[in-house]
Amino acid sequence: MLLLSLFWVLLGLLIGALANAAKLRPAAWVRGGRLGMLGLGALIAVLGGWLGTWVLGTLFATATALWIAVLGVALLPRLITWCARFLHT
Amino acid sequence: MDGHQPSLPQGSNPGAQAAKAPRSWKLGQRAAQAALVFLLCVGGLLSLFPWGRAVTRSALLLPALLSASAPAPLVLAGDPVRFRRLTLSSTIGPVFLDIYEPATPPPLIPGGREAIINVPGAGDNRTVPQLVNLSQSLAREGIVVVNVGTPTLFNYQVSARDGEAVVQAFELMEHWPGVDPQHIGIIAFSVGDLLACVGAADPRIRDRVAFLALLGGYVDVTSLLRAVGRRAQVVNGQTQPWQPISIDLYVLARSVSGLLSSTDQRLLQQAFPLATIAPPLSAQQQAQLSPDATAYYHLLEGDEPGNVDRKLAALSPQMKALFTQLSPLSVLGQIRAPIHLLHDRNDPSIPFTQAQEFAAALARLHHPYDFASYGIFSHVQVQSNLGLAQVLGDGTKLLGALDSILLVGS
Repeated sequence: MLLLSLFWVLLGLLIGALANAAKLRPAAWVRGGRLGMLGLGALIAVLGGWLGTWVLGTLFATATALWIAVLGVALLPRLITWCARFLHT
Repeated sequence: MDGHQPSLPQGSNPGAQAAKAPRSWKLGQRAAQAALVFLLCVGGLLSLFPWGRAVTRSALLLPALLSASAPAPLVLAGDPVRFRRLTLSSTIGPVFLDIYEPATPPPLIPGGREAIINVPGAGDNRTVPQLVNLSQSLAREGIVVVNVGTPTLFNYQVSARDGEAVVQAFELMEHWPGVDPQHIGIIAFSVGDLLACVGAADPRIRDRVAFLALLGGYVDVTSLLRAVGRRAQVVNGQTQPWQPISIDLYVLARSVSGLLSSTDQRLLQQAFPLATIAPPLSAQQQAQLSPDATAYYHLLEGDEPGNVDRKLAALSPQMKALFTQLSPLSVLGQIRAPIHLLHDRNDPSIPFTQAQEFAAALARLHHPYDFASYGIFSHVQVQSNLGLAQVLGDGTKLLGALDSILLVGS
């Protein structure tokens, strides 16, 4: 599982990089935003992989990590930004 | 203007340069967005839907079958495998089971695991590398695999009574921890298809068998003997030469031994040894055979290809009744599970025409089935050093068959 988890980290970093290229990073994330997206992608991919292992089995964990990471990098930054704005108002 | 502004090459248009950079950025952004959408769809389809999970399993299993070894992605992503060997006692004597199962608890979805009962052909095939590889690869994919053996089969004989072994294995799997009782199928190889068909037709389990997949099997002993006796098979109306291998003759000779005298048995064993093609019996030895054994001997020897129908007609009613018993054809009407037929086009052991006859019989019964012929197998083993065209052509077909088998538990 360690190797698989490392693979999911790499997958998450790739998805984070794609999210950066796709300009999914919120405008408010100026300082360290790019690195943040990479880290977020890696984190969500690992969590998605473990969730996939638990729900569907290890064979489908990578596919689960894939779609959860993509969904995560697309939606979570907006959600975090929205929450931050909501808390400051 | 300050001194830090970069100088532009002579003759270039500053406006065009400025417009080109954002346009390529925009293109990169769109490409990244498209890549993310693609990954989202692929990941979702391959994990969320049963057919997607079946495709994932098939795609990982296919290289394992073609290369006869577990590929790295399957080893990395698959479950660790636990092996155990069990012996059940039954009305037919001991039933030997080799069980390969995932060592992890079953996942929440679909809840229970699929189980596959493998019935290898004649002989003790439990340590054959390709069977072990198939069993381990399926177990890595989360499937419980049981390889069934009986003393009769290990002794290179086929007996319809051995269908009991399949029933016993099936009933064991129905109560096996983690297995979904509705997701148990049977795969049979070569003459193991008799046991599989008899088992799948048994009223105790026939309504619960999820599928039956038969690779290189036969359907009717009489028509098989006709091909053996003529040393030819008729494919699509064309007569083609066909030579049985020594093991076929050995199994055919041994499987009727219960009806023959000890002298007949001894002489047939001498004429048809396991590993080699022996010289024909002398005229003096042939004279010692009973009329039944004489007709059978000439069918197996193939020395009177023009007299095959006469030799078949000369066999005793007991022998003909035994052939009916030993033919999966006799129980096809009682099988409920869909049947997947797979056969090597140039099968040196069971002629390809047996699969065609099998398919025709199923079509007459309006039984759900599919039939695919392959060039990548040598009887039931995948050939080594396959060409790219063969892998692409037959690999795609095999992927479809695997998909149907693996969809059951996905």
